[in-house]
Amino acid sequence: MSDDFLVFMMGKFEAKFPTDRLFAKNHCWAMPTDRGYRFGFTAYAVRLLQDVYFLEWHVDEGAKISEGQEIGFIESSKAESELYPAIPGVLARLNPELMSDPSRINVDMYGEGWLYEIEGSGEALLKPDAYLEHLASVWEVTQRTIKGQLNE
Amino acid sequence: MPKRLTVVVSQGQSNNPAKRKLEEDIVAALLFEPGIEVTIVPHLYDLKGDGPGMMGLQAITTDFVVLSWLYERATRWTLDRNNIRGQVGTTLLVHESDDEEDDLLDEPEEEDKLRVVDNRPLPKRMIFCIDLRVSNQVQDYVDEVKRIHGELSTQVVQLGGLGSAPSPTPEQLARVENPTNDTALKDGGELERPVEIIEPIRLEENAARRWYPVIDYSRCTNCMECIDFCLFGVYGVDGAETILVEMPDNCRKGCPACSRVCPENAIIFPQHKTPTIAGSAEVAGGGLKIDLSQLFGKPKEDEKSLDTAVRERDEQLLLAGREAVGTAVGVPKRQADNEDREKDDLDDLIDAVDDLDI
Repeated sequence: MSDDFLVFMMGKFEAKFPTDRLFAKNHCWAMPTDRGYRFGFTAYAVRLLQDVYFLEWHVDEGAKISEGQEIGFIESSKAESELYPAIPGVLARLNPELMSDPSRINVDMYGEGWLYEIEGSGEALLKPDAYLEHLASVWEVTQRTIKGQLNE
Repeated sequence: MPKRLTVVVSQGQSNNPAKRKLEEDIVAALLFEPGIEVTIVPHLYDLKGDGPGMMGLQAITTDFVVLSWLYERATRWTLDRNNIRGQVGTTLLVHESDDEEDDLLDEPEEEDKLRVVDNRPLPKRMIFCIDLRVSNQVQDYVDEVKRIHGELSTQVVQLGGLGSAPSPTPEQLARVENPTNDTALKDGGELERPVEIIEPIRLEENAARRWYPVIDYSRCTNCMECIDFCLFGVYGVDGAETILVEMPDNCRKGCPACSRVCPENAIIFPQHKTPTIAGSAEVAGGGLKIDLSQLFGKPKEDEKSLDTAVRERDEQLLLAGREAVGTAVGVPKRQADNEDREKDDLDDLIDAVDDLDI
């Protein structure tokens, strides 16, 4: 992680976002690879999840994946979620290290704890400051999601 | 000195032998505890408001512990709707959850919201609710009841020790030395019970299964969304304009729609399969986890709980031979996400009428 980062306050928690990369609205960071991007969870996502216990993928490397497609599942101490691709494209690689130890996501979310690489267009990705604006706009909804699940 | 404590065992709805055995084993183990009286009732939630079960419980004026096959909140507020009230006793025998403080959420802004219970003073006596599904070990319940009993008894000693009570007279002390009755404290400090009452009190009632909402007034803000939403006339208001479940048996069996509509999650259906609707105190952690799928990119499919509530209500309307209404009736205003706007003349007029307080 580079030395430069932006901060977003999640309640009392300081979530940090390195400025050397792009971001997807579903709370992944994106670093360019040869033909696409490598993605991982941002501090925002990791803070919501907290300790990751379990991660599984429902697609194989090489698969063509579309927006909104369910590609995996994650479970943590606080939450669980289906996983959806940050951008549509071809799933180039899944981080093999996470298979045996998904808690690397907590240890080094912006480095070794990366999730997957997708070959595809990054046109929908956001610059760091735009991502922070996005966070500010969804923070209310996020909190409501957490609280509101009581009555589903 | 052991304080009197009543332990109420609320039986399971079915005659499940494993449940019955747990209940009876607990009763048997507590029966000989000095200072503890045991009362057995059919399933608390199914008891009629004017039936022998509820009336028997209403007659209890002391601290008491309720063991039931319900979440603690469901038990507490089922009692509350039958005017059986007291301070919330803290039991240590609860469903596993992680109580780790979560500083993630912004400071809850609803702290200043007035809850119905804030205007409703509770009697001093303590009520402890324990869910019989927490453990299948008889000893866990017996130990917890004894712990509560000990705690209550200790508190009495402390209060007496504050100096407000006058010192006993020499005559009183002499009477303690040489008791003249057979319920006096023995040397070991144990209360001896007359032999003839070591039977539990059994309040029999032919309790058919019921289905109705129970309001948690520590959450309810009296916003009236439930009364607007329910089209079966379950809800009403009391003399003080406070929401209440007026016609519980008008409720449609299996329908928890109003509970989903309630913005404070204050409506409990104790028999619903979803823990949070059945009165679980869980938010996150423990058995129930937050689903972050929407945040992580799940395509928006519906408005979730409101849509479910509308669908469930329509199903019940059709079953009752009425017409489905969809979202046309009683859908909460908050869902419309009205934008704030300047008050116009009509608003001012309405405010003025409100202020008249007629």
